[in-house]
Amino acid sequence: MRLLTHNMLSSNIKGVANGFPLGIEVEKVIEKQVELSADFLRNLFPKIEWKALVDAARTMGYAELPEEVDSSMLDSNEFLTKFHHALLELHLEEGALVCPETGRRFPVTKGIPNMLLHEDEV
Amino acid sequence: MTTSVFPTCQLLHTCRPRPHLLHRTPGSTTNNRRQLTLAVTATTRAMEAERKNDGALKKGIAEFYDESSEMWEDIWGDHMHHGFYDPDSTVSVSDHRAAQIRMIDEALRFAGLSEDPTKGPKSVVDVGCGIGGSSRYLARKYEAKCQGITLSPVQAQRANALAAAQGLADKASFQVADALEQPFPDGQFDLVWSMESGEHMPDKAKFVNELVRVAAPGATIIIVTWCHRDLAPSEEALQPWEKELLNKICKSYYLPAWCSTVDYVKLLESLSLQDIKTADWSPYVAPFWPAVIRSALTWKDMTSLLRSGLKSIKGALAMPLMIQGFKKDLIKFAIITCQKPE
Repeated sequence: MRLLTHNMLSSNIKGVANGFPLGIEVEKVIEKQVELSADFLRNLFPKIEWKALVDAARTMGYAELPEEVDSSMLDSNEFLTKFHHALLELHLEEGALVCPETGRRFPVTKGIPNMLLHEDEV
Repeated sequence: MTTSVFPTCQLLHTCRPRPHLLHRTPGSTTNNRRQLTLAVTATTRAMEAERKNDGALKKGIAEFYDESSEMWEDIWGDHMHHGFYDPDSTVSVSDHRAAQIRMIDEALRFAGLSEDPTKGPKSVVDVGCGIGGSSRYLARKYEAKCQGITLSPVQAQRANALAAAQGLADKASFQVADALEQPFPDGQFDLVWSMESGEHMPDKAKFVNELVRVAAPGATIIIVTWCHRDLAPSEEALQPWEKELLNKICKSYYLPAWCSTVDYVKLLESLSLQDIKTADWSPYVAPFWPAVIRSALTWKDMTSLLRSGLKSIKGALAMPLMIQGFKKDLIKFAIITCQKPE
């Protein structure tokens, strides 16, 4: 599971006011190279919750992302490379996503998060 | 999957509380208070039973697709939905993959989406994504980011693997999640896509509610699904023989109670969606089932089927029932599209 996906997921447990962002429990992170597309990154940038991405990347062991960003940085190749790496090349293979309010763990197995709720959480 | 599906679904006028729950014989007189108590007890027990049924249904759906996904992919490729054909044509399985792509394009066109990829949606959710065929197609077509959800871990795995193999891993990703509790914040997606998954949803109101919730302002929602025929104004429910036929199909395909196209429209209207359009595409998919049956009788597909297991075999045996349903104008292949207000 990439951090791009993590940036879009939220906890839907009954009673939770704000289920985003999910915490990350890391058991196994792998890095998979993928070709950088500047246009893709520029299109996605406005939709990304930046703080959540920075925090998540740090949890996965990557601390190179700047805390503060603005869209002018999208012209810098150096920034795009870091953005690309954090967003698309880091994979959580095994671990869990954690609901920020209830602490409930959503397991991640073989890179797939299981977001199914139990009967009493619905 | 139990045989008595409690259709206590909310707005669906085809469903009524079962008389035997109310513990009285028709025609007997009871005072109002006792009726109320009985009705409340019945509803609570029905709700409890419905939740247990829903749990069993979800498990059944996940297992059905876990079991049959590989065989399906072998025979049909990476799309798991009906193809769009010219009515009355005789088709063979080799026409099917092109027809499945055509189905996606026709649905997009019907919904009024631009042919120009640069004007298309940038973020898409594929609700009931199967092995991700639609997601990968839409990701490619619109250069969009697509998220797919499915109850089946096997399908999610396969979907991600196929995306990676096709160089789309950054654009299409898949997870195990429940369409009735989508793990996304409100207003995430420009296009909400449900291709032949609506029929699996036990609570149509909740299903539609979630589709609308995750849609961004101005987003398009496209639902392609099996429904039963709209009821005539004088009718309160389907005929007993119709209910029986649908029931048999339900058991084989892990489907909850059916609803009609009009039921979907009413739900969307109640949520203030705009530009609601529907069409009956049954004639365009009718050539599919005879083709499936013919192909299933080939040696390769028969052995594939036998290898997949009991659930898939039951599904295969239900194919003539689908044909019957279409022929008798009971089963409709419907498309429903709308826009979320800005």
